[in-house]
Amino acid sequence: MKKKYEKKFDLKTSPNGILEIRNLTKNFGTNLVLDNISLKIEEGKTTVVIGPSGCGKTVLVKHLIVLLRPNSGEVFFKNRRIDNLNENELNKIRTHYGFLFQGGALFDSLSVLENIIFPLRQHCKITNWREVEELVKAKLSMVGLDGFQNYYPSNLSGGQRKRVALARAIALNPEIILYDEPTTGLDPIRSDIISELILKLQRELDATTIVVTHDMASAYKIADRIIMLHNGKIVADGDTDHIRKHPHPVVQQFIQGQVSEDDLAVLRMSGTISTAQFLPRDFE
Amino acid sequence: MIDMVGAKTIDGINNMGRFARFAWHTLIASLRSCARVHTYPLIWTQMNIIGVRSVPVVMITGAFVGMTLAIQAYGQLAGMGLEEYLGSLINISVVKELGPVLAAVMLAGRIGGALTAELGTMNVTEQIDAIRSMGTDPIRYLVAPRILACLLLTPILIIFADLMGIVGGYLVSVVHLNINARAYWSHSANAVELWDVSVGVVKGLFFGVAIAAISCYKGFTCKEGAQGVGQACTEAFVASFISILALDFALVVIFRSIYDTFWPLRSLV
Repeated sequence: MKKKYEKKFDLKTSPNGILEIRNLTKNFGTNLVLDNISLKIEEGKTTVVIGPSGCGKTVLVKHLIVLLRPNSGEVFFKNRRIDNLNENELNKIRTHYGFLFQGGALFDSLSVLENIIFPLRQHCKITNWREVEELVKAKLSMVGLDGFQNYYPSNLSGGQRKRVALARAIALNPEIILYDEPTTGLDPIRSDIISELILKLQRELDATTIVVTHDMASAYKIADRIIMLHNGKIVADGDTDHIRKHPHPVVQQFIQGQVSEDDLAVLRMSGTISTAQFLPRDFE
Repeated sequence: MIDMVGAKTIDGINNMGRFARFAWHTLIASLRSCARVHTYPLIWTQMNIIGVRSVPVVMITGAFVGMTLAIQAYGQLAGMGLEEYLGSLINISVVKELGPVLAAVMLAGRIGGALTAELGTMNVTEQIDAIRSMGTDPIRYLVAPRILACLLLTPILIIFADLMGIVGGYLVSVVHLNINARAYWSHSANAVELWDVSVGVVKGLFFGVAIAAISCYKGFTCKEGAQGVGQACTEAFVASFISILALDFALVVIFRSIYDTFWPLRSLV
């Protein structure tokens, strides 16, 4: 089964790492999101990208699969530049990736089974449906949802949707798996389940894993390397110990979850309910 | 003031350029889809949603067009003693203009809104990005089947609208206004040519493509959130409506020229 559905497009591994970004700059209108970022992603490892909300983590990860194109700079996959390819050429490259979107991005009109076999249908000629059903069963078992094949996304909880989306992302046994805030919106137990799944899949598929998150518990659990973005630049890059002891105050503030003194001052100076012109009891 | 007008103009030209690229990409994807048998189930599904389920509403539209035209025109023709020619007027108007245009407007509201809302929701929930991330062209997978379904079925829906317009006009004219049935049909047969029916049906091809292309484009490019999707639906309907009127005018001019040039030569063939 694995041999039959192996990807047809084989590329040699680059000594520069499986993925590389050089001098990448991205802006949306006048808003500079990423400022001259350079980065190499090591093959077979888990790289976690952290940073405050809106700092460009998702934008950075989308450049790795060229869902966004840079204003300047280059993106390389196995030493081949990919940011300047047309969509037809990119479609072949993207079969090497799996992407778990923040909300799951399951197709509402398709069942769980149909969602998971979607990439198979697009890239392989399916002749034996029994094999396909077994593959879906195997993928769902990996994420702990065997038996949900005939459910629709609207019948699933948030955590279940993420796990089905993860099963879909690994349907083609990708070399690179990208996760965009996989634990956002989940309770601590479900978040831990997702973290465990990320570790499990990285081991079993030997995939290069890139995770965008602001969940530090998850980051410490899964990361071989942590990168922090702030104001469009990389302010920290290292293993978990390096990040925990990093001297940059912005890094310490973020990983400890503390509001800065400037932000606290703004909060204290702003108005309170007692200074509001109308109180709720005025309308009783 | 000049800045604002300039910015709007540049914005409008940018949008037209983006739409032209989208339309070109859609054309290529649609042609390729015709050659690939495994895309036929997608087209078939869309034909059911877009075509089959639109038949009742299009027939109702056609029926009311015919009936209203009968009531409105009777007074004018009866004053000149020409009420027996009511059939000619109703049936030519229905098959050449009112049937195609009003059916297309109804489809723009029903199908166009649905397409924009569906694709817009997919856009804001990253489902379209998910399709791209799995190495699939979203235009080939989502837009081409919808365009082909609209292209194939809008002319057929217009035939349904024309049929009900003729029936509705007949019922009001003969049953309610007591026009002589034999005279009604005799004058209609003399006035309505195959050319008139063909023009109406061919218009359907253009209207269908315009509705689908505009609605899909608006869905793909809508802004974030419920407001973005709602605004896209409104813009899609307005743009589709204006396109239908503009295309109708352009096609009328073209078909008139063709008719004047070639139709008198048909007796030589």
